[in-house]
Amino acid sequence: MFEALFYLLIFPGGFFLVLVGLGFEWLDRKLLALFQRRVGPPWYQPLADLIKLFSKEDLLPKGGNELVATLLPLLSLCAVLVAGLYVPIAGFTPYSFEGDLIVILFLMSVPTLAYYLAGIISIGIYSILGGGRSLLQYFSYEVPFLIALSGPAVLARSWSIEGILTAQFTLGSFVLFQPLGFILALVGLIGKLKRDPLDIPSAKSEVVGGSLTEFSGGKLGFWHLAMNIQAVVGIFLIINLFLGWTKLANPFVAILVFFLEFLVIVGMLSSASAIFARLRIDQLAGLGWRILVPLSLAQILFVILMGV
Amino acid sequence: MSKISIPIGPQHPLLKEPLSMKIDISGEKVLGGSLRLGYVHRGIERLAQKRNYVQTIHLVERVCGICSHIHTTTFCQAVESLLKLEVPPRAQYLRALMCELERIHSHLLWLGILAKHVGLDTIFMHTWHDRELALDVMEEITGGRVLHGANQIGGVRFDLDESHFPMIHANLEKLRSQILGLLDILENEPALIARTKGVAPVSQKTIRQYGVVGPVARASGVDVDMRRDNPLPPYDQLKFSVVTMPDGDAWARTIVRAEEIRESLNLCEMILEDLPDGEVSKRAPRNVPEGEVIIRSEAPRGELFYYLRSDGTDQPARLKIRTPTLAALCLLPVQMSDIQVADIPVVLAGVDLCVACADR
Repeated sequence: MFEALFYLLIFPGGFFLVLVGLGFEWLDRKLLALFQRRVGPPWYQPLADLIKLFSKEDLLPKGGNELVATLLPLLSLCAVLVAGLYVPIAGFTPYSFEGDLIVILFLMSVPTLAYYLAGIISIGIYSILGGGRSLLQYFSYEVPFLIALSGPAVLARSWSIEGILTAQFTLGSFVLFQPLGFILALVGLIGKLKRDPLDIPSAKSEVVGGSLTEFSGGKLGFWHLAMNIQAVVGIFLIINLFLGWTKLANPFVAILVFFLEFLVIVGMLSSASAIFARLRIDQLAGLGWRILVPLSLAQILFVILMGV
Repeated sequence: MSKISIPIGPQHPLLKEPLSMKIDISGEKVLGGSLRLGYVHRGIERLAQKRNYVQTIHLVERVCGICSHIHTTTFCQAVESLLKLEVPPRAQYLRALMCELERIHSHLLWLGILAKHVGLDTIFMHTWHDRELALDVMEEITGGRVLHGANQIGGVRFDLDESHFPMIHANLEKLRSQILGLLDILENEPALIARTKGVAPVSQKTIRQYGVVGPVARASGVDVDMRRDNPLPPYDQLKFSVVTMPDGDAWARTIVRAEEIRESLNLCEMILEDLPDGEVSKRAPRNVPEGEVIIRSEAPRGELFYYLRSDGTDQPARLKIRTPTLAALCLLPVQMSDIQVADIPVVLAGVDLCVACADR
């Protein structure tokens, strides 16, 4: 009973994920600032932002559904927190079962759908535009993302993340067999997180704030928290699926390696947002269906042929 | 999908200055747009009639925050031509130096804004960082970064001595290497090209119909530059080329402006090299004889037009300012069709908005 509560609230669930989520936001902002010759925020800035948001007045335009608008960010936060519970951290996972990868992928999609709904229910032109765009974007990146993430599962002949991780201990890290899948998974993750350069649904100069234009105060705080934790869970997932090395006996070394891999992926995401301009939604759909999907299919074909 | 109309402005993250556009869209397609101006109208032309000529210099400096120097230069040239006052050549060269520095910083500012609008914040940060080099030079020689207070009727109010040159040369050299790197990125970054190339191209004919001037016209293949076509000293003695592109889209405008920065850097070096010796100003009488004059000069955004009528007193009887942005703004509704919502920022940025100039 206490063990379950600990897993749920402290590690690897609740508190830990919030902490890493805030740490991720700081690291990302700091790295981006360095790429752009700026100073960047101090380490406590994400926490300070969150506290400030929660102390602000919470407004919604007349006609917006207050209950749904409150539930949507909470729902996304819960979904990503639950997903985080099942992703092994440095090889440690409290609950693992056959098929947890699919559950996680489902839970990771919840925030996107909630984001779309948030745009529709908060009365505002920019919100509706942003919501529609987020759905269009979802259909562009999600298919290659899912195909890329199923590559390791096919190769390991297991749909549990722990199974994939242990398969890598004998076969070798999957990024060596599927470098393309790894890149596609990262691109998919950028699309899922609506990060620069795929921040089409929330592009400031086009649709102001996207779906979240009309959100403020605590609700917006929950949204930001949910997105940060979603990013962390997504990165953890990619580390587990592609970057499992040989089994490390020493837990400290395992944690260190896991942390370094986390830093590398954050660095890759930050540099992607520093380097590329934002695509147009039709260009993204073209990129997704004309380039990413065929590439991911080629990757999965390669994996299947390898397994035979 | 049904037609909806989205407001861009007067307050919008896209705009740095107030301007209102109503844009009709259907899904992601833009059907058309209409424009409303006048949010920062300050009545400067009327105010000029209430002040004497010396005070009016400082008034017209505040027409625009980016191209403040070219306004005072053009106004002073108008008054000087009414007075038939010969400006010392050193003052003419120093004025031109400031104009070129202003062009560099204005174009860099614009490049940054375009990059920001297409989500390339890194270029935005870097160009604005480099822009500081030009601003530093201006501050070093006149004392002001934005409002320089550099001109007076009959000359300029500052002079260069030997101690200034190393700093100016060092900054210009640094700027040049930065611009070369920037041009390399602009010409090769695939996502930026995808976002700007072919977006709302404007034909040469439309440009001529709307009387658009400056880099926007040059990017559509209209070869017009007041520095060459109607040269006021010292531009008649300086050698430079006018950059034009045939395409007329946002991409062409980017390249035209980036190349113009390079030309301006060359001009700055040339001016510093040929800088004549002598005094920098002449004493001008308080009252201006009766008469009227039109002066046209090349501001960073295109042809700047000043009409000045004097009735023999120490106050202008009428001052008319036509800024280059106004014509470019009229082009906006024309461009706001057959594009996507994501192209709106590119089109808006493409004309290099200076709403304060247009509203006066």
